[in-house]
Amino acid sequence: MKATATAISRRDLVAKIGKGAALVAAATAVPGKAKAALAQRAVHYAMVIDARKCTGCHACSVACKAEFEVPLGVHRSWVEYVEKGTYPNVSRNFLPRLCNQCSEPPCVSVCPTGATYKRKEDGIVVVDPDICIGCKYCMLACPYDARFINPNTGTADKCDFCLHRVTEGLEPSCVNTCQGRARIFGDLNDPNSEVAKLVATEPVTVLRQEMGTKPNVFYIGADHSDENDTRVPGQYIRVDTHRPILERR
Amino acid sequence: MLNRRNFLQVGAAVPLSVLAGEALVRRVSAGPVIGGKDFSPDTGKERQAIPSACWQCVTRCPNISYVEDGRLVKIEGQPKSIRTNGVMCSKGQGGVGQFSDPDRILYPMRRVGKRGEGKWKRVSWDEALGEIATRMKKLRDAGTPEKVMFHYGRMKASHSKLIKSLFLANYGTGTIGNHTSICEAAKWTAQEMTWGGHYDNWDFDHANYVLNFGSNVLESHTNHIPTSHRLIARLTEKRIRMVTFDIRLSNTAAKSSEWVPVKPGTDRAVILAMCNVVMNEDLYKGDGEAFLKFVKVSTGRKASIADKVVALKAHLTGYTPEWAEKISGVPAGKIRTIARDVATVKPACIITYRGAVSHHHGADTERAAQMLASITGNIDRPGSRCKAVGAKWKYPKGPKKKPKTRKLKILDGLPGAAKMPTHHVSHQVLKMIKDGSAGRPEIYMWYCYTPVYANGEVQENIDILKDEKLIPFSVCVDPFYDESAALADIILPDTPYTERWGWEDMVSPTQVPEYYIRQPAVKPLGECRDFADVCIDLADRMGFPLGVKNHEDFVKASCEMTSAVKAAGGFEYMKANGVYHDPKVKPRYYSYMKVLKPDAYQKPGIVMDPATGVYWNWKKAKVASEEEALKKGYTHTKKAYKAYVGQEIDGVVYSGFKPDKLNKSGYLELYSEIVEAKGLPAMPSWTPAPEHEAMKSGDLILTTFKVAAQIHSRSANCKYLTEISYDNPAWINPVTAAARGIADGDAIKVKSEFGEIETTARVTPAIVPGAVAISHHCGHWEYGRYASGKKAPSGRNEPDSDRIWWTSNGTHPNWIIGNRADPISGQLRFMDTVVTLEKAGASA
Amino acid sequence: MQELQWGLPVIGYLFLAGVGAGAYTVSSSVLLRGGGGGFSGDHFNIARYGALLAPIPLIVGTGMIILELETFQTAVAHGDISLLFRWINLFLTINLSPMSIGSWVLALCIIASVGYAYTFLSKESADGDDKNGLRHGLAWIGVPLGIAVAVYTGILLGAMPARPFWNSPVLALLFLVSSLSTGVAGILLLRALFGKHHKAPDGETHDASHKTASRATYLLASSDVLLIGFEILAIFLFILFANLTIGNPAKAVSVILPGGEFAAMFWIGVVVIGLLLPVLIELRYVIPTLLYHQPYAMPRGIEVAVCAVILIGGFMLRYVVVVAGQITGPMGI
Ligand SMILES: Nc1nc2c(c(=O)[nH]1)N[C@H]1C(S)=C(S)[C@@H](COP(=O)(O)OP(=O)(O)OC[C@H]3O[C@@H](n4cnc5c(=O)[nH]c(N)nc54)[C@H](O)[C@@H]3O)O[C@H]1N2
Ligand SMILES: Nc1nc2c(c(=O)[nH]1)N[C@H]1C(S)=C(S)[C@@H](COP(=O)(O)OP(=O)(O)OC[C@H]3O[C@@H](n4cnc5c(=O)[nH]c(N)nc54)[C@H](O)[C@@H]3O)O[C@H]1N2
Ligand code: SF4
Ligand code: SF4
Ligand code: SF4
Ligand code: SF4
Ligand code: SF4
Ligand SMILES: [Mo]
Repeated sequence: MKATATAISRRDLVAKIGKGAALVAAATAVPGKAKAALAQRAVHYAMVIDARKCTGCHACSVACKAEFEVPLGVHRSWVEYVEKGTYPNVSRNFLPRLCNQCSEPPCVSVCPTGATYKRKEDGIVVVDPDICIGCKYCMLACPYDARFINPNTGTADKCDFCLHRVTEGLEPSCVNTCQGRARIFGDLNDPNSEVAKLVATEPVTVLRQEMGTKPNVFYIGADHSDENDTRVPGQYIRVDTHRPILERR
Repeated sequence: MLNRRNFLQVGAAVPLSVLAGEALVRRVSAGPVIGGKDFSPDTGKERQAIPSACWQCVTRCPNISYVEDGRLVKIEGQPKSIRTNGVMCSKGQGGVGQFSDPDRILYPMRRVGKRGEGKWKRVSWDEALGEIATRMKKLRDAGTPEKVMFHYGRMKASHSKLIKSLFLANYGTGTIGNHTSICEAAKWTAQEMTWGGHYDNWDFDHANYVLNFGSNVLESHTNHIPTSHRLIARLTEKRIRMVTFDIRLSNTAAKSSEWVPVKPGTDRAVILAMCNVVMNEDLYKGDGEAFLKFVKVSTGRKASIADKVVALKAHLTGYTPEWAEKISGVPAGKIRTIARDVATVKPACIITYRGAVSHHHGADTERAAQMLASITGNIDRPGSRCKAVGAKWKYPKGPKKKPKTRKLKILDGLPGAAKMPTHHVSHQVLKMIKDGSAGRPEIYMWYCYTPVYANGEVQENIDILKDEKLIPFSVCVDPFYDESAALADIILPDTPYTERWGWEDMVSPTQVPEYYIRQPAVKPLGECRDFADVCIDLADRMGFPLGVKNHEDFVKASCEMTSAVKAAGGFEYMKANGVYHDPKVKPRYYSYMKVLKPDAYQKPGIVMDPATGVYWNWKKAKVASEEEALKKGYTHTKKAYKAYVGQEIDGVVYSGFKPDKLNKSGYLELYSEIVEAKGLPAMPSWTPAPEHEAMKSGDLILTTFKVAAQIHSRSANCKYLTEISYDNPAWINPVTAAARGIADGDAIKVKSEFGEIETTARVTPAIVPGAVAISHHCGHWEYGRYASGKKAPSGRNEPDSDRIWWTSNGTHPNWIIGNRADPISGQLRFMDTVVTLEKAGASA
Repeated sequence: MQELQWGLPVIGYLFLAGVGAGAYTVSSSVLLRGGGGGFSGDHFNIARYGALLAPIPLIVGTGMIILELETFQTAVAHGDISLLFRWINLFLTINLSPMSIGSWVLALCIIASVGYAYTFLSKESADGDDKNGLRHGLAWIGVPLGIAVAVYTGILLGAMPARPFWNSPVLALLFLVSSLSTGVAGILLLRALFGKHHKAPDGETHDASHKTASRATYLLASSDVLLIGFEILAIFLFILFANLTIGNPAKAVSVILPGGEFAAMFWIGVVVIGLLLPVLIELRYVIPTLLYHQPYAMPRGIEVAVCAVILIGGFMLRYVVVVAGQITGPMGI
């Protein structure tokens, strides 16, 4: 069955990409000291989502689905609509969501098999589908509900920053398609990268900062409203998630 | 930690490391590349990339289709495209679903049971085409080719040329319907009345202010991605101001600086009031005043600018903001402020779409918008609404000698439906067939169109299409089993756009034409055939070969015939690159201001029409002699617009605003004698919808809209799209809801004079009180499992079929929307339906 | 309703592992504390019931959790044998994940409890027999292992800030006390069902062994009263801490407070049925003995019923906690 073939080859791929990038970091044609520095310098991938530019078009959601043939009912990426206010002063904001590739990822610390781990070479949190037992512990530990069980393999799955693309020097699929160019991807360790500059200069926020997860997905101008928000009693707030679980979690 | 993974990494590291190495070097030096390549996440193998073009919505963006193991798995934007800059919308991305839809029809099918019973037999192409060709030939030989009616929807560019200009023209039928009247015909008719040929391009790249009436450009537009990605960039990077009038908070309204809720169908009152402010506060001075030179606002053609100002002021006197407030609910103060902004922030882009025009006298609303743009000097200049520019392909024209086409007079609606239906009244075609007084087609064939679902009065559409007495023989050309296919006698399986050829010419937001082609990502599945190829086959069978082998051949020939494309490398270049634009071509603005050299109009056959100042070629207009031409005059000569040359203004001959479809002058005509002659207001005016005038308390107005992740009738079979937008509850304001005891999520009934539907309520402050808004796209009862939960008769299995998790497919509003026409243009008045609303079960 | 990642198998597992671990701990401590001989070997008897009981829920519970593994479910659904034993991966590594540590501890606990049960298997087994050394050795291990397993079931849930309802150290304490209490209930239930001495519970003519047996069960029952007391305290602390914390935990714990989705189930199922009812009944029989030194004599039917409600309460506690924790995800964004 395809599912098994997939699982095995994807495992190999994850492993290959991992090791490959590490080896290569040492082997690039950069002379002497610089080479050593480069070998030392790990890449730190991050994404900035400029919510001001997001039109809620869902191109990212669908690009991601197609890229990975993500089965119906589960999502690596999704966009929440946050509508609130009182007529006629009503706003609707969009919050694209994906795995935050946390620097302190609780999904990694609870995984009993080591199937979920954070790659040293670039900070991407990945799941090895050949090791995962499908215990779902990581799903409960993730404060962002970014994980799901892939029904083809019975193992945990989630956004991996398009590892297979970024290791080939391509932008992630959702970034490629984003009509607002609201999604910006790059290396935080490279001070010249757009992400590094934005994180340094813009008032970026992260989701659920209090969880201590240190997300690597940063937002500019995001509406952090919550449907449980009671700041204004009786204020209308509606969060649409477009996922089977209609409430946000 | 010692586990298998580490162990495996060491074991498997070597082979890919070289590849990954390149990647890293590139990344370190230049940052990630945006696209143009894709790899399999499972195997790491590079996917085959085929430059092609989307055909989900009418925009037809260039794309790159990625193929893995013979399957189309991914679609991306074309980074080389100057129109899209490589970005793509959700529908374009979701296009993989058109290819993979397990309910696709793969073989010609013939009904075996009663019409509409759902019983089908697979037949060979030979059998199907044999029968169709025999029937068609018989009618042609009998001298009644018009008894073949062809009705198309989304057919454009090379498909249109091959199917319409070659096949149907050589066959001889002119009984050809389209779907423009259910789309934005009112807008086109109004543009033809004012500045000539239709299509306004919105130059957001240079706009400093955007004023929007009823366009949801960030979610849906006929040039969606090319314009929307520019708009959002402009809004956020240059922080320009945008004001959106909509009856509900669309995503466009949400992203605008301000959402102004307006009572449905009253935008014209607001626009006229803004014109009133601009004129009365002398805000037209400057750009607007200068532009008035090219504008006609009164009878005759000798008016000075000062005369024009007087005429405009006189026309607009009654249309004060206070007057408009009463009609539209928009505060007068707000109208004034916005009018002042739009007149003073230069350049301003005034945009409109179906929200403004799908109404009674919708065409007049578009004319009013042209007026506001004119008097503020925001026409065809950088940053404004511009006359669109698209690619001009040359293509094989087929046999020199064409038969004279004949047509049934069933295309323009019931008698009196519309006075100037320049784009027909296609939503009343079935009514006309039922009526029968203008004759009935023997064969009704439709293509890229779903007469049952896309129009109003769904039940009547079904009844007529089912009736063998009214329609003896019907053929549906469709890759999918939609609600209309279910009522056909024969279904010819077309390929979805993912598997066919074509060249495209959609207008460019940069005012520089872009040439692009579509090529099949994969071979057609099953026995699907591009209908353009089928037409060539049919023509052969009937004995009038079209002189082209197939669509690919046609595209190839066009590439070689079109000089710009040929110079770039022709067909081979286009196959490899998908898109081409000439980097030397400058954006086209102010085209109307071009001064014609004398040799352009001082030619035999060209005369000046004294009444209008139009130079026209009477020979081209097939008038017998110059005297006759002068006697009859330009305006009264049939199709004289096709012979237009230029417009004389103050002794100079300009290319002016070239007419199309109507014999208007080269002025931008805000005052139209042609319109006046039809008994309609010569200048944009307020004429309320009769049924709105007659509304009782408790009545509401039903409107409809499109959502970001679906394309009208055609995309609910794309699983990734329907997973996002599967339901369409009715939006109502809390005030509207409270008055009827309705809570969010309640089951409700919506009733109009055309029927009743049951749906659920979405109670939200994001809609004006007094309106109900129900989106399009949902409530399918066929169209496969993802759209309706029901497999097509020929449906196959795929694992995702068992994972459909949504429990509702929504409710289609068109059951209760009438097939009524704007009395000017014939546009279906989608946003005008008067309804009542109650909690379901309340009356029981 | 939110989709649950962890459903009945995990709830059952947490409950059964608790009962098993509790029974093992209680049995071991009774054996170690009471030696073999007290009350004419009745401590031994009690220890024997506990020992024979412990491995069963531990093993069944562990079996249940395998059912919850998605790899296992996929293996069954797709007929994919290679996924069937994927859970072995749990034992190919050890890390700081509570589940990893817990799996190892649980595995050790199962092995030890099986060995421990083996030492009691023979009907003739008695204090000081040839298995005595092994038995005592395994009892020494049993106390910490049992406690570890019981505590771990709480830590498993409590280790995640993402689930504010669970994210409380009191949860480990609560599960530990509940494990011990349900362990005791399990032992008493077995004894009530299968014990020989209760054949003539007329209160007058009971023989000496019955008397001592009653005194042993009295001890268990009275310590159970104590445990339940602790449990109520733990619940109080659990709610108190959560409620006093500003933000997510307070919001989360509100689902079991009056008006919350799980209030009825929690207060009736866990507190009234699982705690108050048994403690009142037990007190009814314990107090006369405690204060007036009357002979302790709980009718067998009542004894069975008390044990049953304690066990039901223990299950309900796991049920409410597991489900409530999942429906109250993180809040704020
Ligand atoms: N996603 C998506 N994009 C599409 C399409 C699609 O189906 N889906 N279809 C394509 C086609 S063919 C077309 S014609 C275009 C149409 O593009 P649009 O005309 O922009 O789209 P609509 O949703 O038909 O209508 C636009 C807006 O009009 C509002 N409206 C309704 N009544 C009124 C009114 O009285 N006054 C005002 N001011 N607003 C009103 C609606 O709430 C809606 O937000 O989109 C094209 N692009
Ligand atoms: N309620 C409501 N109704 C509306 C609208 C609205 O906003 N609200 N919008 C209106 C507008 S603007 C428009 S333009 C119309 C559009 O109405 P249509 O032109 O009818 O709509 P389409 O979605 O283009 O698809 C029509 C059919 O084409 C078929 N099709 C899809 N791909 C192909 C193909 O490759 N080849 C062939 N041969 N067939 C194909 C599908 O089966 C589909 O059912 O709908 C109108 N109807
Ligand atoms: S977002 Fe969730 S899944 Fe992703 S790294 Fe953080 S905790 Fe793990
Ligand atoms: S489901 Fe898989 S990845 Fe997640 S914790 Fe369990 S073993 Fe680790
Ligand atoms: S980075 Fe890739 S996997 Fe992650 S959300 Fe974007 S497309 Fe999906
Ligand atoms: S593609 Fe970009 S603009 Fe569209 S929803 Fe995603 S992030 Fe927002
Ligand atoms: S805008 Fe239309 S043509 Fe362009 S990608 Fe989207 S659906 Fe396709
Ligand atoms: Mo349209």
